[in-house]
Amino acid sequence: MTTETVSPPSTRQRFRAALLKAWEPYRSVPLLGWLVAILVAVGLERLVGLPLAYLLGMSKVPALLGVVVVLSDPIRIPSVLIYILLIYVVPIGLVARFTAPLFNRIAAYLMRYPLLVTALVHLLLLYADLHLWASISDYRILVARLTMIAIIVTLSLNLVNGYMGEFSCSHPGFMALGAYTASVFTLVLFVNDNRFGEAIFPPSWGPYFFPVGLVLGGVVSAIGALLVAIPSFRTRGDYLAIISLAFMFVVKSLFENMEVVGGARGVANQPDYATLPIVFVWTVLSVWIMNNFVRSTMGKALNAVRDDELAATAMTVDTRKTKMVAFLFAAFWAGVAGGLFAHVLHYINPDTFGIRKLAEVLAMVYFGGLNSVTGSIVGAVSLNLISEALRPLEIYKWIIIPIMLILIMIYRPTGLVAFTEFEIEKLFLPKGETSKGAGHGTA
Amino acid sequence: MKHMKFVAVLLIATFVLAACGPAAPATIKIGINAPITGDIPKVGEGTKFAAELWLEEIGGTINVGGKDYKVELVIEDNESKGESAAAVNTKLITQDEVLVIVGPQASKQAVPAGAVANDLETPMISPWSTNPATTKDRPWVFRTPFLDPFQGPVIANFVTDEFGFTKAGVLYDIASDYPKGLAEYFKQAWEELHGEGSVVAFESFTTGDTDFSAQLTKIMDAGAEFIFAPQYYNEVALIVKQAHELGFTGPIVGSDSWGSAETVNLCGEDCYGLFFSTHYAAEGATGATKEFIDKYNAKYGYVPDDVAALTWDSLNIVKTAIENCGKLTGDIKADRKCVRDAMANIKEFHGITGDMTFTEEGDPIKCAVIVRISEEGKFTFYKQVCP
Repeated sequence: MTTETVSPPSTRQRFRAALLKAWEPYRSVPLLGWLVAILVAVGLERLVGLPLAYLLGMSKVPALLGVVVVLSDPIRIPSVLIYILLIYVVPIGLVARFTAPLFNRIAAYLMRYPLLVTALVHLLLLYADLHLWASISDYRILVARLTMIAIIVTLSLNLVNGYMGEFSCSHPGFMALGAYTASVFTLVLFVNDNRFGEAIFPPSWGPYFFPVGLVLGGVVSAIGALLVAIPSFRTRGDYLAIISLAFMFVVKSLFENMEVVGGARGVANQPDYATLPIVFVWTVLSVWIMNNFVRSTMGKALNAVRDDELAATAMTVDTRKTKMVAFLFAAFWAGVAGGLFAHVLHYINPDTFGIRKLAEVLAMVYFGGLNSVTGSIVGAVSLNLISEALRPLEIYKWIIIPIMLILIMIYRPTGLVAFTEFEIEKLFLPKGETSKGAGHGTA
Repeated sequence: MKHMKFVAVLLIATFVLAACGPAAPATIKIGINAPITGDIPKVGEGTKFAAELWLEEIGGTINVGGKDYKVELVIEDNESKGESAAAVNTKLITQDEVLVIVGPQASKQAVPAGAVANDLETPMISPWSTNPATTKDRPWVFRTPFLDPFQGPVIANFVTDEFGFTKAGVLYDIASDYPKGLAEYFKQAWEELHGEGSVVAFESFTTGDTDFSAQLTKIMDAGAEFIFAPQYYNEVALIVKQAHELGFTGPIVGSDSWGSAETVNLCGEDCYGLFFSTHYAAEGATGATKEFIDKYNAKYGYVPDDVAALTWDSLNIVKTAIENCGKLTGDIKADRKCVRDAMANIKEFHGITGDMTFTEEGDPIKCAVIVRISEEGKFTFYKQVCP
């Protein structure tokens, strides 16, 4: 990076010190402040993003922070940098810094209300950010939806592979069960389709019953999980991995041979029920519930089983029940994610839920970090966005991403953000000096 | 605080300037959605090469209504995954603002990608997808290859006329969309010709299998006079060799999936003298077809397979449609509509894979070619079968 340096360490130290100093004022910015700052930035992008992009010689607003533009056309690097600086970095930096005292006071004020209210305020802001950011182009909407679905799948696999410490390979199979169940549910009941015939109920009812279809998909996945769990939980370690892998292939072959659902040709024409807000709500719900699960007694028992099953039994943990519940619970969410996935793509076939999907999900879990809700979110979001952004590199993408994974495995063997607790309550707290006066409610 | 003021002035200045940006230049963007990485990279390569050759061939411009427009190809990799193909299509349509999309090739990508193109009202033409769902109820989606419901009867009729056989054996991959569909259409057509039960053996295997002796023995025991194997090149070589080792002497007939140079490379002499139906025959081609093959061979060093030829045709259909449009307004929505309408109205398009006219569904009506693998291992034209 630095070229003409006389004594590199001192420069680096100075650079670090400068960076820390620059960051100092931001330490007191609460989450609320960041969310509002981002809202300002995406609002700004909406207002002047396109003209600015034109001015900088780009024909469109750079979709994914301009990485795609840069990779296919390196001359654009300066204009992309200027764009990101002007639209994102400077506005977010300024707003977050100068509104910090105000939002600290508001955050403190919000603390007086039940957690649910505080959380809702934050979630609404988060959704507003996402909505404003994504609605600039359909491409962003699709990427955002697929990424959120990836979060659900990753987190649910993390329950088994991270919290429970087993190595399960059947997640694509669970997704397939959920995807097919939810698809058949909506196609039979609400869609005039040439495969399943006339809709039984008026199609306009469909979106309202979509959650039922998703839950049904989840339940079918959980039943599938029970089939794997009964024989395989008598064994541990490698055996579960092999049995669950076999289960994935069984599910794939099952759908390939089921003519009712199109066999290898797949099922198409799922209606567009999985819109951005719907996927967002389900993602939030899944993160919330799974986070509560792992922080509950059951979750702690799960960790105990992972660390030492014998000791856990001695401490009166019902290991078999604990493992069973966690596995079925994880499968349920994988099924829900599968149902959402089918309705985002409007098409599924057995081949989608094969070994490649497994590799993808496993990579996200281990990249993000085992035994960590934050890690799963980080893993799913970063791998999805990286993979999307590096698309112009074609074959080289498949050199870069594996190298990244190898480096992560060497330097952080359990993943980027492993073994952390995701404490929702702490996220919303005001920060810095003002937090001391939180109890007084100075608003 | 000095810095702050400076930054503020700069910010305001940029935004003011930004408000009066320059207009977009006169180019036509064509999106190519291809499987450059993933399961079938050779297909992606053929697509890419054909597209680049085509761009060179037309000199980088298309003349619409007396005005030359520069053509820009936006080639994107779909990793041979359905969700990626949908993402690529969305990106091409909303980010790159392409006028029309060529691709994706395989059905598992073309079906979800077609949904995106139809929803976002952008014309798309798939050069290779044979799944009916790709174009079904989608006015904005077209395809270049003939469909399996047509190819099945073509092969059944050809075998009946050529050899006079009445007992057929079929060996196909049940886990793969294309072979399975085609095997079923063939069975239907054959039984219409020769009556119920004339397909004496209908045997399947699963993708990745390499030993077919059990199925082949069953087929031979059932008394099949020939075997129909609508498989891809790697399986074709195994099936043919194993059938011969088991002492099967009848012909083995294939479909357009045989049309890769690899078939003969892997199969060798065992495949000489066999027949398959396809879109075009490289050996003994004449006119525009020969010209294309020679150019491709000269540039990339191998004879193009059907994917490349169909991509070439798709691009020329796109070109014809744009030209027939008469005038481009610069309003991308209106132009896309114009191109779609022009494409739907194309009559008797002369392609290197045959003449075609589109049906209501966006599927072409075109002829199939029966190819014989010669004693030199070349794909020679044998006869043409029209609907």
